Amino acid sequence: MAQVHRFANGLTLALEEQPWNPGVSAVLLIPAGATTDPPELSGAASVLESWLWKGTQKRSAQELAGALDALGVQRDGGAGSEYTSLVFSFLADALAPVLAIYAELLRQPAFPLEGFAQALALAHQELASLEDRPARKLSLRLRREVFESPHGQSVLGSEETLAALTPQLLESEYHRRYSPNGAILALAGGLEFETTKAMVAEAFGEWSGSEPEFPEVVLTPVHSLRIDKSTAQAQIGLIYPDIGPEDPDFYTDRLALQILSGGMSSRLFTEVREKRGLVYSVSARPTSMKGFSYIYAYAGTTPERAEETLQVLQSEIEQMSAGVIADELERAKVGLRAGLVMQQESSRARAQIMAGDLFLMGRVRPLEEVEQKILALDLQTVNHFLATHLYRDPWIGTLGPASLELSE
Amino acid sequence: MILPASTRFVSQKLENGLTVVAEINSAAKTTAAGFFVRTGARDERPELSGVSHFLEHMAFKGSERRSALEVNLAFDRMGAEYNAFTGHEYTVFFGAVLPEFTGALLDLLADLMRPAIREEDFELERSVIIEEIKLYQDRPMEVLFEKARRRFFGRHPLGQSILGSEDSIRNLRYLDMRNYHEVRYSPDNMILALAGQLDFEQILTEVNRLTGTWLPGKVQREFPASEPQAGEVTEAYSQAQQSYLALLAPGYSYQDPRKYAAMLLANVLGDEGSSRLHWALVDSGLAEAAGAVHDEMDQAGIFELYAQTDPEHAREVAEVLLDEAHRLEREGATSLEVERAARKVATGLVFASETPLGRLFHLGMDSLYGQEPLPLAKMAADIERLQAQDVNALLEEKPFSRGFFYQLVPS
Repeated sequence: MAQVHRFANGLTLALEEQPWNPGVSAVLLIPAGATTDPPELSGAASVLESWLWKGTQKRSAQELAGALDALGVQRDGGAGSEYTSLVFSFLADALAPVLAIYAELLRQPAFPLEGFAQALALAHQELASLEDRPARKLSLRLRREVFESPHGQSVLGSEETLAALTPQLLESEYHRRYSPNGAILALAGGLEFETTKAMVAEAFGEWSGSEPEFPEVVLTPVHSLRIDKSTAQAQIGLIYPDIGPEDPDFYTDRLALQILSGGMSSRLFTEVREKRGLVYSVSARPTSMKGFSYIYAYAGTTPERAEETLQVLQSEIEQMSAGVIADELERAKVGLRAGLVMQQESSRARAQIMAGDLFLMGRVRPLEEVEQKILALDLQTVNHFLATHLYRDPWIGTLGPASLELSE
Repeated sequence: MILPASTRFVSQKLENGLTVVAEINSAAKTTAAGFFVRTGARDERPELSGVSHFLEHMAFKGSERRSALEVNLAFDRMGAEYNAFTGHEYTVFFGAVLPEFTGALLDLLADLMRPAIREEDFELERSVIIEEIKLYQDRPMEVLFEKARRRFFGRHPLGQSILGSEDSIRNLRYLDMRNYHEVRYSPDNMILALAGQLDFEQILTEVNRLTGTWLPGKVQREFPASEPQAGEVTEAYSQAQQSYLALLAPGYSYQDPRKYAAMLLANVLGDEGSSRLHWALVDSGLAEAAGAVHDEMDQAGIFELYAQTDPEHAREVAEVLLDEAHRLEREGATSLEVERAARKVATGLVFASETPLGRLFHLGMDSLYGQEPLPLAKMAADIERLQAQDVNALLEEKPFSRGFFYQLVPS
């Protein structure tokens, strides 16, 4: 079970002790993401994160990477829609030097001018490469359609907003958003809480700053998006509003989504792929942001079959309101429970979920609590929920050759 | 490096030739199991191109005992994490479950190895395979590697496509697949691997019962002489808006102990995040991605260097990538670089091995390639013991000067 401590400067620390594990995974969330990018500087959080890695006041970029490599630190992460995450895994005995380097990175960046130009050039490359990733392009563009507020902003920015970035503007974004207030450090692995807390205090205790404000969610009226592009497959995306972890019906909703898209016997896989052979890939996955949760349903198919695919996809999702059967519910429960156990075997998976829980709910849900809530749900409760909570009226996005015509 | 000592290896060859290997970890909360079949794109006659991968799909379509839906239901009733994948040399079917479901998982996986391959299911799945081919057509990086491999290997079967072409898939008949299956899925051409919490004696009893009727075969993989091609080609691709570059060069086989040194060499040159190619191409903002990997195969191996950039920078990126490869070849890697690469690779192993499923892949692949599986701690120590001279010895053969440089560019 995770132990949590909030330091005076606002930084939240969570640790799940895994005494059997020689390794540790850490997820450090910084409240700087696409959603808090000023609209005219969209993409700032992402460029800022790569600029950060261009060196500190003590070390060049290569020295910084070399120091982490010498400690065997596996690194990942980057800016996302609501926060920047730094993900790092290492052997437990390296905790103190690893924390010291990450503190140096966050608190004493050198922000060299040459590094700014490099980070910006890379951002342009990433934006351009989106053209060769049609599924990602559609999901980013469709999300932009859903929100009137900055929640739909792409982490990649646009050519115009990237061109508007300057070193001075980015540095002020660093001061505004790289703050321990709102920052979360979630750890899972072979550590002990009190010692860890002392080491984190040593590395990050002096850090200060105030939490940036998150904007209010404002949605657009439901509408459709059509992108012309000469791809081999047409891409179909649907965004349905959903409920988040703060809602009392959250686990009911999760069971329903598991039935809809949780395994190869799920409804979408069975109806769209297995029975009709329409797609290789079909799914419906939940996402929660502060203030809004949604389901992103996706299918990719040849343009001639796009209309049928969209129709089956949509009707299967909306059919959920007619309820599920006992056997489906039983499978969904087993699936979610097994997932909870598997999550505990991987330090990285566990740390990610702990960080996400803290960000959205301010606490880490104990696995026992999740399990009990799932087990407590019966068919009647689930079907009552489905009859009243309708998955309908999605924002619909399609991407494909100009010949692709869909009736809606 | 301190690693858990509570694991132990066991293995047994059954009468029908099936090898069962396991790494028992009594502290694990789950059990993983998988069949590793020694068959893939390289084992296909050209007119059957894509049959191994298509067969992997058909395995999920049911046996004499189960329909396709029953297979899917059975996996999900266990809450299993499961999947399958096909490569140039293997087809792997795996699942991870809570220990109480181990017997049921074995029953199901064994059933997958004896699929009915019904005509009706075959026809329906053909359209799914074609969708998968089209999905990859929209991913130029995947197209790059497939086309570059074909150039590098020339007529050697290691250059064959895993998915096959739309044509080869449309022309495939279900009876051809049945024949292919009968020959390639013999028990002596596969490994059953298990990892995590398990009772090996009980598992052997169960596996003997499940596979007792399987007949051993006489299948041998063919090893035609490989003549890697050196050269340079640029091709236009209508689905690409970016430029994609690859340098393929001769490497070391799975059976060759030098494969670990080759892994470190690739890491020094092209580890994503910190390596020579990273600093020269990605950190500088010239390329969106760049890297190098070593792929060790059955009595063959390759280095794959790659980069992706916008068309304006393609020429410069190509020059830098080739320069870095040749500079490394001339000057070698430094002791510091090799030490750090070894540290990264060894720690990476620890994290890839946290779960029984992670361990399963090491164990299954080692066994499939005829290697004695190594405990994680031993493998990590072997890697950390490597020195610059071990890595630089590989450069004496000038691999990058004998490579094939392939570029895929927007039309």
